[in-house]
Amino acid sequence: MKTATKDVKSLGPNGYPSAPFRGSRRVTLLFSLLFMGLGHIVIFKQYIRGAMYALCQVIFLLFLPTIVNNLIGIVTLGFPQPDLHILERDNSMFMLMDGVLTLAFLGLFIGAYVLSVKSALKLHRQYETTGLMPAKRGVLEQMGTGAFPVISLLPATVLILFFILVPLIFSASVAFTNYSMPHNIPPGNTVDWVGFDNFRAIFGGDAAWTGALGRVVLWTLAWASLATLTCYAGGFILAVILKNANFKIGKIFRPILILPYAIPAIVSFLVWQNMLNGAFGVVNRTLIELGLITQGIPWLTDLWLARFMVVAINLWAGFPYFMLLTTGAMTAISKDVLEAARIDGASQMQMTRRITLPLVLYQTLPLIIMSFTHNINNFGVIFFLSGGNPAMPDTVATGAGGTDILISWIFNLTINFQHYHYAAVLATTVFVALAPFAIFNFMRTKSFKEGEL
Amino acid sequence: MEHKNSIGRSKIGGVLVIIFLTLLSLIVLYPLVYVVTAAFTPGRGIATLPIIPFTNGATLDHFVQLFTDTNYPIWFRNTFQVAVVTSMGTLIISALGAYTLSRFRFALKKSFMLAILVLQVFPSVIGMIAIFVILLRFGLWDNLWGLTLVYLAGNAPFNIWLLKSYLDTIPRSLDEAARVDGASHFRTFLTIVMPTAKPMIVFVLLTSFTMPWMDFILPRLILRSPDNITLAIGLFNFITERRNDFTLFAAGAILIAIPFIIFFILTQKTLVTSLGAGAVKE
Repeated sequence: MKTATKDVKSLGPNGYPSAPFRGSRRVTLLFSLLFMGLGHIVIFKQYIRGAMYALCQVIFLLFLPTIVNNLIGIVTLGFPQPDLHILERDNSMFMLMDGVLTLAFLGLFIGAYVLSVKSALKLHRQYETTGLMPAKRGVLEQMGTGAFPVISLLPATVLILFFILVPLIFSASVAFTNYSMPHNIPPGNTVDWVGFDNFRAIFGGDAAWTGALGRVVLWTLAWASLATLTCYAGGFILAVILKNANFKIGKIFRPILILPYAIPAIVSFLVWQNMLNGAFGVVNRTLIELGLITQGIPWLTDLWLARFMVVAINLWAGFPYFMLLTTGAMTAISKDVLEAARIDGASQMQMTRRITLPLVLYQTLPLIIMSFTHNINNFGVIFFLSGGNPAMPDTVATGAGGTDILISWIFNLTINFQHYHYAAVLATTVFVALAPFAIFNFMRTKSFKEGEL
Repeated sequence: MEHKNSIGRSKIGGVLVIIFLTLLSLIVLYPLVYVVTAAFTPGRGIATLPIIPFTNGATLDHFVQLFTDTNYPIWFRNTFQVAVVTSMGTLIISALGAYTLSRFRFALKKSFMLAILVLQVFPSVIGMIAIFVILLRFGLWDNLWGLTLVYLAGNAPFNIWLLKSYLDTIPRSLDEAARVDGASHFRTFLTIVMPTAKPMIVFVLLTSFTMPWMDFILPRLILRSPDNITLAIGLFNFITERRNDFTLFAAGAILIAIPFIIFFILTQKTLVTSLGAGAVKE
């Protein structure tokens, strides 16, 4: 107690810090708002922490001209300078990127600012309740402990910020520009803000694009549902068969049946694509040779046949995963339940339908949902197998083929068509449509429910 | 009587099951037999392939050609480098992050967790244009390190979440005891918590190591020069519209697929249970 009093004494006359600050929350707030860390230094004599906050502010002030410059850049996106050399002209995309990065930086700065003010107010509260100045000793120690979470999360945060968050904001921004072939590709030309023009064109304004969007969205949903359903059903049925079959049979067939899962997807889909080639694919040549058909079947070039084949080949590649998974889930079912059902005279079929299926379904539900979202974004099957083909009446204009799903369409628009503006509109739409699912998933998690966060 | 009957029926059923499984196995093996055939058959395109496997003679030319006429070894080296760095980096980044999220309380923790969960849902294709521009801006375009950074960022959210869920199940008393004994946070993390999370660590290492071998979109977007591309791009380029070297593709694909298959058979049990457990636990 005595030492504590002494500590306080050293801080100001009369055992208290300079009189005007005593008890005045407003003064603390004012100092902290005036310059980051000022409150810590002047009022609470926490020089180290204060200096670190002040450093943030100094860095901010040093970069202020650049910040303002970049913010002006993101507003104007540069001006056409046809008389300059191509590399000296304003590069709208770099300006947009710099602007978005600056905004991210500003966000971090504001976050630090809020933290500094909060921390000063917290110190003030401590002072008010105890009447003592926070001890100077211990600040460093506290920072040592406090630094671990910051340092350990730093790499992940920086990476996520630069390669996920900034790209998302950037993509969303591009959706409001005219960044596209042939007239608005930097560095030769500049890009301009166009407001909601792209959204209007795609959602109703332009018949070809709206039609393509409707078709692609419907097919994406149908594809993801069918792909998930067929693979799950196929995997489940095989798991039941193998489980009920004699031990030896299971031992022979199981390793063969899981092979597709072990082979890299790109390899198996490209092989299938070549085998199903209409003109000289092995499948058609075999069927002709056997005399079953006289002309090659257009496996991947007829719209509905191609759609069917995409789902079928995906089943070939995807059922082993669910077979393994449901086999695992089945072993967890208590033997007593099945035994009881058997004694009651239930047939094998009844037991499978009424006991095994519901229990396994319940256990694997999260994985079915995961598989569904995976299939919505399942670029590989479509791109390598059908390449989005066959062409539709609007394909020349929109780049969307008959089997294209959203993700392969976005890829095509970006890489081949360089219609970045429309690709960005689609990407933003996918983001907005999927975000609620992700948030819902988050609310469902155990740690969130238990209020641990 | 009834007993006998049921045995009789199950015998017929057994035969049907064997027929069904045999047919299915044939369908499963069908394309695989042709890749192997193609890899050893003289000629180039799919059109030269015999209908009955191995009836056009056999040759090792395509494998020789891979190593003498193409950049296959370079693609392999590039992919291997990216895979090793991605796998190690992902583990370090996500283990540290997961430990902190599991054991500490701090400002903005909730927002951070929500952010990584939401961001984990989106494939990198969505930010494709931006990744292109940002790498161009930082001089990392057409650069293997640029690709690695994007992979690390893409892997972080899911793996942090996965590891965090796992660490939550490990009792805190374990690391608190170590802390009381005077171990630093980092030491506790490294010597107490990590060893208990071994199955998940293996899972994270394996999945992030295998992913770069067959990923297509990002390398296609980021890498351009022939000396920088990865295996998936190189193999894909064998069978574009302009080129139809299916036999060469088959040889290259087999060389990659065989280690994959062996590796998978060795680890399939761990992989599936870890994935299942990780997803269900959340």
